[in-house]
Amino acid sequence: MGTSTRLRSLLIAVLGVVGLVGAGCGFSPAAAKDPTAPLEVWTRSNAASAKVYEAIFAAFEQATGIEVDYKAVPIDFDKWIQRRAAARNLPDVLINDTGMLGLYHSQGLVTEIQPTSIAGGTDITDRAWDSARASDGHHYGVPFSAQAMVTLVRRDWREKLGRPVPTTWAELVELATAFTTQDPDGDGQADTYGMLVPGTTDRGYLSWWAASYLWQGGGDILAPTGDGGYRVAVDSAESVAAVRWLRGLFCDSKVIQPGALTTSTADAHPFFETGKAGIYLTGPYNFGRFDKSLGKDRYEVIPTPAGPAGTTVLGEGENVYLMAGSARPDAQRALAEFLISPPAQQIGMRGQPQPVVRLPVNRTVDVHATYQDPRWDLVASSYAEDARPFPNVPNFQPFRQQTAEALNTIFASCTDDVPGELGALATALTAELQAQGMAVP
Amino acid sequence: MPWLFLAPALVLFALFKYVPMVEGVRLSLYEVRPFLGDVWVGLDNYASVLTDPLFRTAAGHTLLLALGTTFGSMLVGFGLALLLEGQARTLWFVRSAVFLPVVTAAAVVGEIWRMLYYPAPDGFVNTLLSWVGLGPWPFLDSPDTSLWSVMAVGVWKGAPYDMVIILAGLAGIDRQQYEAAAIDGASVWQRLRHVTVPALRPVASILLTLAAIRGLRVFTEVYVLTGGGPANSTTVWMTTLISRGFEKQDIGVASAAAVLLFLVTLALTVAVRVYRARKEIG
Amino acid sequence: MSTRERVARGRGVAQRYDTALGWVGGRAVRAGAGGRVHWPALAGVAVRVLLCVAAVLVFCGPLVTVVSGAFDHTPDPTELSLLPRHPSLTNFTTAGEYGVWHYLVNSLVIAGGALVLQVAVSVFAAYALARKRFRFSAVVSLLILVTMMLPEEAIAIPLSLVLGDVPVVHVNLQGSLLGVILPLGAWGFSIFVMTEFMREIPVELEEAATVDGAGEFRVFAQIVLPLCRPALGVIAVLGFNMIWEQYLLPMVVATDPADYTLTVALVSLRSNEEVGPGIVLAGALLALVPSLIVYLSLQKSFLRGITTGAVKG
Repeated sequence: MGTSTRLRSLLIAVLGVVGLVGAGCGFSPAAAKDPTAPLEVWTRSNAASAKVYEAIFAAFEQATGIEVDYKAVPIDFDKWIQRRAAARNLPDVLINDTGMLGLYHSQGLVTEIQPTSIAGGTDITDRAWDSARASDGHHYGVPFSAQAMVTLVRRDWREKLGRPVPTTWAELVELATAFTTQDPDGDGQADTYGMLVPGTTDRGYLSWWAASYLWQGGGDILAPTGDGGYRVAVDSAESVAAVRWLRGLFCDSKVIQPGALTTSTADAHPFFETGKAGIYLTGPYNFGRFDKSLGKDRYEVIPTPAGPAGTTVLGEGENVYLMAGSARPDAQRALAEFLISPPAQQIGMRGQPQPVVRLPVNRTVDVHATYQDPRWDLVASSYAEDARPFPNVPNFQPFRQQTAEALNTIFASCTDDVPGELGALATALTAELQAQGMAVP
Repeated sequence: MPWLFLAPALVLFALFKYVPMVEGVRLSLYEVRPFLGDVWVGLDNYASVLTDPLFRTAAGHTLLLALGTTFGSMLVGFGLALLLEGQARTLWFVRSAVFLPVVTAAAVVGEIWRMLYYPAPDGFVNTLLSWVGLGPWPFLDSPDTSLWSVMAVGVWKGAPYDMVIILAGLAGIDRQQYEAAAIDGASVWQRLRHVTVPALRPVASILLTLAAIRGLRVFTEVYVLTGGGPANSTTVWMTTLISRGFEKQDIGVASAAAVLLFLVTLALTVAVRVYRARKEIG
Repeated sequence: MSTRERVARGRGVAQRYDTALGWVGGRAVRAGAGGRVHWPALAGVAVRVLLCVAAVLVFCGPLVTVVSGAFDHTPDPTELSLLPRHPSLTNFTTAGEYGVWHYLVNSLVIAGGALVLQVAVSVFAAYALARKRFRFSAVVSLLILVTMMLPEEAIAIPLSLVLGDVPVVHVNLQGSLLGVILPLGAWGFSIFVMTEFMREIPVELEEAATVDGAGEFRVFAQIVLPLCRPALGVIAVLGFNMIWEQYLLPMVVATDPADYTLTVALVSLRSNEEVGPGIVLAGALLALVPSLIVYLSLQKSFLRGITTGAVKG
């Protein structure tokens, strides 16, 4: 009894001291509204990318004397932003996908930018500025990084099987079939697959992958009507044909890795690295990682194989968003101006193992001179000639999500009724378009 | 003088319970747009909650989960109590061990079971199942089994708690009744049915109703185990509410759902209390 | 039948009324004449032992796999086992790189701070409710009762907004540990349990002290409080359990991931594809240990608390 009482008092005392001391230190009232507080900047980055951003912000602090409170949030970034928005306490600056612009704008989370009033704004490529423009024609972000999807191929496998670099869809399928059936890694087992697809519906990932092929086939999710409006094009004959072709990869030639329809981008990379799949349409940011894990000479970046309607690929990027409610608009702007300057862009491009600036948005930065890598030259020319982003209807996310879910269903069920499924999707997307006030009557 | 002693409690309750409660009711009447200004919508948010298919599915799951977990816990807890009743030191030891899930935080329980439930054939639970010729089962991975798997975890965490309370009830049963039953030639089963269970019934019924009402607000276990997935097969009221409010920025609708939850809980709790008070008087 | 046999039987029979199922003790096995084994009793004991082992495995086994997985160097989610195959501390050092120690400190600070506050608030309030007669005391009880019926989950969203600008004092508690501690500071259940205990303490002692001229607070601190010590243990252990269970509150108060408590951080740790299951298990173990320590050291108070409080709601 005596010991247990003493133990109990001790326990409570210890917890109490820890609690009171800690609570005293942890208290920081009204941090976000304080104009003397450091600028709070968020990026969606893992630990490695965060190091690159830290270097950029250190250079910014040195150049301007403005302190940055930088947070790299790798998980649930979007949820966090929504939560902070609910509390009317947003970080000062975000660097995030260009695709978020529509949502942020429709919620009033971002402040408007006059491209001409940004120092260095005239050095930014027009294509990059376009991706910072909302459906109302105004800009709500400053471009930071651009990229186009590229096709990676296991060169060693291709050469072992004596195949040429595919230049058309037909050749692409032939190569994928060969990778699946002809044992390109020579281990005597049927354990390789032609194509790698991050096909989860989570965040609409599948749409990111499928969009390039949809466009190459002449299809579309939303087509501009020319007067600033959009119409749903996902049930057009071209779209149906393109989706039929994609469905064939899953259901007929069966060249896609198993479990593709629940695989996220992050989960997909290891399939390529470990030699499970040989063709991968993905962003260009993992060269450093694959060079290390797979070997630079074992894979290649090939020019996009052409579909019936061409070689269009998804080209998006990241914007700097100056968030609403900040107590330091001047510091926000100063950071944006610094981030598009050549020194900052170059630090971002030289980041190891992956660059946080993929292609520079600043036309005075030379891609060839900075990367010294022909693969990046290919990305740059692909971006310049073939890339297009998802449209900034006020909020594209629901379209991406619903398209991903419909495609996922088609590929999972292997239904023959592609027009029926896409027709149902088109009905849902039309309703969404009307809800967002962008439908053409 | 009493107010001085009551002040800390009343101030904390006012600031962190009553003000948020009123604020929640207020928000439920608006379309909340933090940076664009709120718009009065009257009862529209309530209408959207009640007609939203997601909230409807969630309500069904919540009821099923609350009832299943409550009754499952009670049954298993009753079995454990019968097994572990007694004064022996070893029994005390076993009881302490069996009780551990109750003190383990729900978030930790969720993480543990996610791993135990690993859906591959060589997952932990599936390995055990294979020894008795069952499985492999997908558990949390398939919409057909996910809700039952979540329920099983709830029973695992809840049963030992019920066991303790039933043990207290068992200890209160007069031994002479057992002896009398034995003299009348009753078997153990008959004794259980006609002496033990009736003696426990009052405690058990209160416990069941209160636990079932509490079960309506289940959140952490589900959020950690499945997040409501796969394919919304395990969404409950609270996970739907939170994702609506914090991920889809529909704070008005989420608040309306919260007010409804509160009203239902309040009505049920008051009903139980009134019923009990009547019974005690009568 | 010999007398000895009859006595032995008698004892066996008497024992059968100790429990609802009429389990017999180990002694009954040897209760046969001349110390011979009493087979039915042996079978009963064997069945019971087997069932006990099964119960312990079902309810403790999962917790043991956490320990084993946390110390296992090559954790494979598919192969959790009861013993680590490659024991090492790597998981903990790696978990540290992902901020697990920081989260643990957050959890401990919140648990400590909120617990001390909660116990103090409960004791003060219970003293007033149990010892003072005053107008509106029934109203106060009702107000506290309503907070108990109010699902705290239901007010999570408005609470997080209120914490951004606390009424009257106008401070922002979002993203601070106090934002979690203060809302946990008053718990109706704890107040009611304490009130019940205080009602049982005889009033005469206090009256004597008051007659001797002791002030209100001295009576409270020197007479009432020491008498409540067992009750303090009860509300402390129940309070700790309640605070350690908190999930939604720390989640909605946080303004960035660094504000998370350990239990909340586990989910985002798991969703991070760079983090393996062994590291999540190391975190889970760290979140498990404090609750086990508190439970095992205050077990009696705990059981007493839940049996007295169970039917209170």
